[in-house]
Amino acid sequence: MNNPKEDSQLSNLGIRTHQIVKAGLPRRRAAETRFKAYGLICIVAGLGFLVLLFGNIISHAWSAIEQTYVALDVTFDESLLDPEGKHDSAVLAAADYPALLKKSMSALFPEVKDRQQKRSLNGILSKGASYELQRILVKDPSLLGKTERVWLPVDDDVDMLVKSQIDRSVDEGDRRLKDYQIAWIDKLMADGRLEKRFNRQFFTSGDSREPELAGIQGALMGSLFTLMVTAFLSLPIGIASAIYLEEFAPRNRWTDIIEVNINNLAAVPSIVFGLLGLAVFINFFGLPRSSPLVGGLVLTLMTLPVIIIAGRSALKSVPPSIREAALGIGASQMQTVFHHVLPLAMPGILTGAIIGMARALGESAPLLMIGMVAFIVDVPTGLMEPSTVLPVQIYLWADSSERGFVERTSAAILVLLAFLITMNGLAVYLRKRYERRW
Amino acid sequence: MRHPVNIPTPASFSREHIQTVGDMFVENARIQCRNVDVFYGEKHAIQDVSLDIGRNEVIALIGPSGCGKSTFLRCLNRMNDTIPGCRISGEIKLDGLDIYANGLDVVPLRAQVGMVFQKPNPFPKSIFENVAYGPRIHGLAANKLELEEIVEKSLRRAGLWDEVKEYLHHPGTGLSGGQQQRLCIARTIAVSPEVILMDEPCSALDPIATAKIEQLIDDLREHYTIAIVTHSMQQAARVSQRTAYFHLGKVIEVGDTALIFTNPRHQLTEDYITGRFG
Amino acid sequence: MQKSTLLLLLLLISAYAFHLGRKRARDIVLGKVKTLHSLPNYYGYYTALWSLLPALLLLILWLGFETPVINHMVMESLPDGSQALSADIKGLLINDIRNSMNAGGSDTKPELQAAVEFLRLLKIRSGWLLSFLAVALAFVGAYFARSRIHKEHRARNLVENTIMSFLLGSSLIAILTTVGIVLSVLFESIRFFDKIPLTDFLFGLQWSPQIAMRSDQVASSGAFGAVPLFTGTLLISSIALVVAVPIGLMSAIYLAEYASLKFRSVAKPLLEILAGIPTVVYGFFAALTVAPFIRSMGADFGLDVSSESALAAGLVMGIMIIPFVSSLSDDFINAVPQSLRDGAYALGATQSETIRQVVIPAALPGIVGGILLAASRAIGETMIVVMAAGLAANLTANPLEAVTTVTTQIVTLLVGDQEFDSPKTLAAFALGLVLFLATLALNILALHIVRKYREQYE
Ligand SMILES: Nc1ncnc2c1ncn2[C@@H]1O[C@H](COP(=O)(O)OP(=O)(O)OP(=O)(O)O)[C@@H](O)[C@H]1O
Ligand SMILES: [Mg+2]
Repeated sequence: MNNPKEDSQLSNLGIRTHQIVKAGLPRRRAAETRFKAYGLICIVAGLGFLVLLFGNIISHAWSAIEQTYVALDVTFDESLLDPEGKHDSAVLAAADYPALLKKSMSALFPEVKDRQQKRSLNGILSKGASYELQRILVKDPSLLGKTERVWLPVDDDVDMLVKSQIDRSVDEGDRRLKDYQIAWIDKLMADGRLEKRFNRQFFTSGDSREPELAGIQGALMGSLFTLMVTAFLSLPIGIASAIYLEEFAPRNRWTDIIEVNINNLAAVPSIVFGLLGLAVFINFFGLPRSSPLVGGLVLTLMTLPVIIIAGRSALKSVPPSIREAALGIGASQMQTVFHHVLPLAMPGILTGAIIGMARALGESAPLLMIGMVAFIVDVPTGLMEPSTVLPVQIYLWADSSERGFVERTSAAILVLLAFLITMNGLAVYLRKRYERRW
Repeated sequence: MRHPVNIPTPASFSREHIQTVGDMFVENARIQCRNVDVFYGEKHAIQDVSLDIGRNEVIALIGPSGCGKSTFLRCLNRMNDTIPGCRISGEIKLDGLDIYANGLDVVPLRAQVGMVFQKPNPFPKSIFENVAYGPRIHGLAANKLELEEIVEKSLRRAGLWDEVKEYLHHPGTGLSGGQQQRLCIARTIAVSPEVILMDEPCSALDPIATAKIEQLIDDLREHYTIAIVTHSMQQAARVSQRTAYFHLGKVIEVGDTALIFTNPRHQLTEDYITGRFG
Repeated sequence: MQKSTLLLLLLLISAYAFHLGRKRARDIVLGKVKTLHSLPNYYGYYTALWSLLPALLLLILWLGFETPVINHMVMESLPDGSQALSADIKGLLINDIRNSMNAGGSDTKPELQAAVEFLRLLKIRSGWLLSFLAVALAFVGAYFARSRIHKEHRARNLVENTIMSFLLGSSLIAILTTVGIVLSVLFESIRFFDKIPLTDFLFGLQWSPQIAMRSDQVASSGAFGAVPLFTGTLLISSIALVVAVPIGLMSAIYLAEYASLKFRSVAKPLLEILAGIPTVVYGFFAALTVAPFIRSMGADFGLDVSSESALAAGLVMGIMIIPFVSSLSDDFINAVPQSLRDGAYALGATQSETIRQVVIPAALPGIVGGILLAASRAIGETMIVVMAAGLAANLTANPLEAVTTVTTQIVTLLVGDQEFDSPKTLAAFALGLVLFLATLALNILALHIVRKYREQYE
């Protein structure tokens, strides 16, 4: 080290370093700025997608709040509805309402004579309009023989036109509504006979082939039943399993395998659970296809890992001193866990459980496998009845070609998202409210 | 209290509440600290410290645990910038330039003032890459040959070359604790800094590795300015020329190492080095 | 009696049994509870368990075996000609009978009338028999348990052991699920490979399962070559990863290293919303908005883009898995010890140099694990591809063309009418097996890496 040549070299090195570093600095600072900007751009891109997604769906969904209705002066013609004058509700229910509607429509547009044109004139009304008439009359039989102005839903194409979602400037051949139909509609509108009203139908009816009649209540009930089964099974089993693995299980090969297995199950594609459900619950045990019971069972198996993992970490966060204190005053291990540890871990477990339920609520792929995709008009009333769930309903509507289903699909998505946001919000609230720092 | 007569003190320096005994200031100082205060959030970790570090000298910072030695050391190359909530006031100058000046870039500063940490922290890369990292990012080597030369020279100076020359491409994390620490020293001197800060570099090492590092410090002194934090009085006595005693965030006494250890002037210093405290 | 009513009744009986047991324990020691082995409540629980569990077990077994047994009895009752039918036809027949019973018997085929009536009778009888047996068993259990109670009776231990068995049993369900998945998928796959050779399936280039449905077609005519599905899956998943990995990783870096605490606490949960949105929503978005957009963009550049392009599905899937990459990466970047960063800073590295050359390499195993998990997620993703990717099994690497994926085909093959013996349905299970094995391998590898990595810095 006492070599004088090397010494002077060294003292020069420090100065050299300084110069070189100074010289390279602008380039490195620019790289730094660029890198940071990339990061920000990526976050903005991610959040941008989120905004785009929500914006897109909301922009499609808002028009589904309202549905167009047409005012018709309907004469509840006794000779047509109840020729024998029995005033029996069975007769009234089975009467020929479409004929009433045809009459009223021709009264509005007497100039339409052509058969073809007459049919498309009646097509302005929804196919459900006659059921609406039936409902009105059965409710109030005294209307028989009188003329009444009633508001009836219009066909989805008309609805779309009124909501300006059908472009009038498109070539007539490429349009679902012809020029003469548009002229009728314009006339109705000018007469004040067309009105957009709150779309109650959407929330109170089951599925339908006609967009203007389709609603989400059937799917909502299906989701409710399915989720009930899931919650009823996965909560106790998941919590019990978490307690066993975290508090009682010996640490050995077996519990290791169970742990790896649970972590892996949490990442198995959901559709595989559907295959399991199809093979085991439906083909082997013969449970009814399309039923909320089977759906709930499949979703239970799917959410169990989530609940177990969350439950274990909640239990793990309870400090050992609590266990020692309880054991120290002579409580059995079981008493310690159930009286002291579990209550403290409960908020964390519930948070995980709610998140698991939210995932189950949004799940659709495995339910396709077990037949919950059937077209079901009736609102289900039990666990064994064929039904569908909200996400699958969305899938079904998204697949339909009618223009009118786009807004309803989007609206159903909003309803689904509202539920999910509420559930997740609840989970966040629970976590914040009961969060403990030991 | 002895006031140095021949050294001009800066105007910004207030003598009102002088708390330090001994020669805080030296002629021809490399680093000058004036009225430095450091806060971690509400906590006042360094209180009104003024201290000079001379050229080509080794200064030892001693004091009980938690008294702010590491904090002070980290001020000197602005490593405290990486700690959220850490605030610094006062003035620290390197070769007469304020290192906390607005718009000053910390990159060249840190290239100039290197640091070795208490716990060895080699990167999860090969031994060669560990040492080559600094020269690479600063572009100190024009070509591969030059880079290899720098790496070899740094490893030699850190006294590690003979032990690792066969394994240059093995991971640095696979070395023993003492070897890792010397690797970190080699990594620091590969950049050819002018000042080296060492925070308890030997705390995790056995006596032989410690001896090697002390030898290294002695060798480096010729060209570098070194500040070393240590809990070992013997080590301070062996390697340093000056010693500063820290207590609860204040510098209590500064002076020639030999004098401080044989003839401490402040009661706290005496208590500490005689082992009655700390 | 409704099953739910029965269940409620059983619960009531067990509540009564609880009371019974507790009272008995108190009576035995004449109120000196201290001399009992366990607290009186434990004797209550003990009695209640004895009353509830056997009845519950009976209920579950009954429900599991009711359908097969009744089916069998109905088949037996049919005229001799039906006995010789094959299992499939029998299945159809029984379905017919059940359906006409459920429909209220209005449109029953006359030859099945007797069977329908018999089935209805059996069901009603079975229901009553079950209710009677279950209630009886509940009472028998309760009184049996009550008779066992004495001063030294170790009720607490018995109750705790029962609870313990329940806990243990619950944790075995996860294992059972895996076994169930493997068995069910494997079993049907083996039946499939009986008809179609494994090599044809794995290496065949032609996928057209619908053709095999025709009776005059030989099943093994090469219509079940799954290679186009594998390439399609890989193509879409790769596009997804190409989108998600850079965006996710850079977002994680920014959030972990640059963002202020406040920005982070807002942006991170927002970004994670992306992972919570149901996939059917993404599918809708892809099919309705993204695919047409890409198509018209392509048209502007003179490209012919399929309306079900792999690009659209992959892009949207990429958006979905951004949070999978970003939140795991974020965790791992945060787990890199500060001392490593300090080491780099002390040498004069800038922040981006430190991140790129020290932090990311140190966190790399974890990040790779996260990316593998995201890849497994992409491969197994179903709804997006079902809604936005095509059905045509094209063997292409062009992202502008339509491709189909393993999951899409599983859904297409299984949704709708099913005959459980046709190669078409069985093929879905074979695809399921491939999917399960592929994701299993990815998951285990990823979890292993992640676990190793966690240990390294703990
Ligand atoms: N990041 C931080 N945030 C908050 N307070 C800190 C931080 N780092 C250090 N402190 C506090 O500042 C004071 C000085 O700490 P410092 O690490 O400088 O002590 P030290 O003298 O190096 O101790 P030791 O000899 O144990 O290393 C201590 O009281 C410590 O609690
Ligand atoms: Mg320290």
